[in-house]
Amino acid sequence: MKATHESIAARRLRAPRLTLRMQETMEGWLFVSPILIGFMIFFLGPLVGVFIYSLSEWNLLTQRASFVGMDNYAHALGENPDFWHVMRNSFLFAAGLVPLNMAMALTLALALSRPFVGMVLFRTIFFAPVITSGVAWAIVWRFLLQGDSGTVNQMLAVIGIAGPNWLREPDWAMFAVIVTRVIKMVGLNMILYLAALQAIPRDYEEAARLEGASSWQVFRMIYWPMLAPTTLIIMIITTIGSFKVFDHIYMMTRGGPENGTLVLAFYIYQQAFRFFEIGYASALSIILLVIVLMLTLVQVLLRQRGST
Amino acid sequence: MTARRILFAATSVTALAMGGSAVAQDLRVTVWTGNAAHLEMLNGFAESFTATRPGVSVTFETIPAADYTQRLTFQLAGGNPPDLGWIMEDAAPAFVDAGVLVNVGPVLRADAAFDFADFSEPALGLWVDGDAVFGVPFSTSPFMTFFNRDLFVAAGLDDPLTLAERGEWTVEKKREVARLISDANPGIWGLEFKDGQGYDSRFMHTMVPAIRAWGGDAWTDNTCGFSSPEAVAAMTFLHEMVYQDRSVPPPGEVGDFFSGRAAMTVNQISRASVLANAGFEWGIAPLPTGPAGEAMVIGQAGIGVFTGGRNRDLATEFLMHWTNQENVETMARFFPPARQSVLDGDVFVEGNPLIPAEQMRHVADAIAGGRVLPSHPRNPQILAAMAPRVDVMWRADANMQQALNAICDAIAPQLR
Repeated sequence: MKATHESIAARRLRAPRLTLRMQETMEGWLFVSPILIGFMIFFLGPLVGVFIYSLSEWNLLTQRASFVGMDNYAHALGENPDFWHVMRNSFLFAAGLVPLNMAMALTLALALSRPFVGMVLFRTIFFAPVITSGVAWAIVWRFLLQGDSGTVNQMLAVIGIAGPNWLREPDWAMFAVIVTRVIKMVGLNMILYLAALQAIPRDYEEAARLEGASSWQVFRMIYWPMLAPTTLIIMIITTIGSFKVFDHIYMMTRGGPENGTLVLAFYIYQQAFRFFEIGYASALSIILLVIVLMLTLVQVLLRQRGST
Repeated sequence: MTARRILFAATSVTALAMGGSAVAQDLRVTVWTGNAAHLEMLNGFAESFTATRPGVSVTFETIPAADYTQRLTFQLAGGNPPDLGWIMEDAAPAFVDAGVLVNVGPVLRADAAFDFADFSEPALGLWVDGDAVFGVPFSTSPFMTFFNRDLFVAAGLDDPLTLAERGEWTVEKKREVARLISDANPGIWGLEFKDGQGYDSRFMHTMVPAIRAWGGDAWTDNTCGFSSPEAVAAMTFLHEMVYQDRSVPPPGEVGDFFSGRAAMTVNQISRASVLANAGFEWGIAPLPTGPAGEAMVIGQAGIGVFTGGRNRDLATEFLMHWTNQENVETMARFFPPARQSVLDGDVFVEGNPLIPAEQMRHVADAIAGGRVLPSHPRNPQILAAMAPRVDVMWRADANMQQALNAICDAIAPQLR
């Protein structure tokens, strides 16, 4: 009798019995909790913090801060002509870099997807710049792209072309930073395309060839549609990367000449870490976030429309 | 029993911590040098300071020069300020304006042994505001003409030092010898602006010595001087050296003086240490005189005590120890002094192991008579606003007056 009472009391002390669904939900939350906590501390928290800062005029050095509402956004979007110049540069950089990078990556992946002697060597050569130090890469290119005494111009002179002063003329400087960035990063997209190409069964191509399809038709009708998901991912990450480019600009041109390569990420750095205007820099960061989100959304919607 | 032990341990730790904090004081000092010889010298100053102060220690924290102001600012803003720190000339007005530096003037002036009046007055320009003193200059580095003597000898020309001794070292003479040497030596430039950065991050170092030689200035009393006739004449002169004489490497080209690819450069004396490994005979002369006569320019760094530091009084004591006459003499082999007694003494002029005494006399004169590079509380914004307009100014087909007017238009709102 006593044992029965104890067992009843012990049962009462236990946690209420959970349904299977609740148990699974709880386990799910427990499994994701490490990354969730990290996400909230290191991503969501700073993001909310940046948004709050963007509503203030806060000078880091003087420590004077005041709530200004949306004034920083109004200043950037309506009053500051530099902002629109910077936006033009950022879109120009992305418009030059994304298609060039993707076209080169796809071409290289198609060329290096079939086995041939030296295939591994060529893949390594094209991927090597990706793992090269960005600082070293930029410094070497700065020397190669000097005016008359630069290696690039001396090579052009051999074939009778007088090269421009690449990094001192605004239009050519933008061209130069785009091309050198593409050469540096194209290997990464090449690897993604190579992986996608190897996942496509050869049967499709063989069947098309039996039907008399040309190489272009095989590419256009088989490979291109089947690479579409990979293309979307590559387009998104390359676009985001192009709007976030900082180190390359910092090391090669510092935004010059004549602010011709002053892109948004570098402009934010200037405002935050040289002028210590944390409020304004935060507003610019939120604008950058919104731009990247919108571009990603547009690309996903276009992809969905294309697939239907 | 266990609870009592825990309580005892906690009480002991708290007591030790409180007792310790009352006695031990650690001064943290930020510097941008990581040079072993510099740090050995600085640690020597710290040892002589702490020897008479039981429980006091001094720690030097190196922050690389490129990030120095930025990281120091983050330490100040983040509630982790050092007690003292080196401060660059371009950041000094902003730091003073922001109120992050302690006014050490009353303490410095009250100590007769420190002899604050010994500091050269022009060298104090950035640090003194009325009676207030917000820092003590420790490195007063004048702009000088460095020249490659081998190239002058080979060309059969008198070098800048010889010309200066005769009173013939003028901007016109500089242009003439630069052109003659570059014409006679393909691939060698007559003159290089500062370390290949004279068109970029150091454009003020190119422009200010020239403009002052013509009698102008970058700005005075918050009024822009770049569009003045003097500045236009000075910059036109340099522009012609680049594009007409072709004796100066144009933007985008490198003509490194220290590797022997240029006959002359205008650089700060603190760069002279590189000459120890130069593969040629070299010399150091003053800046050439311009239409307005002699116009020496100095760059500068100072030491300040931070208002947010926990040991402000002790930090001020260490500042005074660090910059007393004896230690300034010791520092003089690395950092040109601002104390007149050291400038006038034999130690500075004759004690430099690298630079001969007759050249060091010119260095001492430049420090004593030079004016500090212009600075402003909004210096970073001013330089950023100037940079794209300076690029336009250095175009081969630039209209100099228009380009300099554009610079003034761009920086006028910042100067106000």
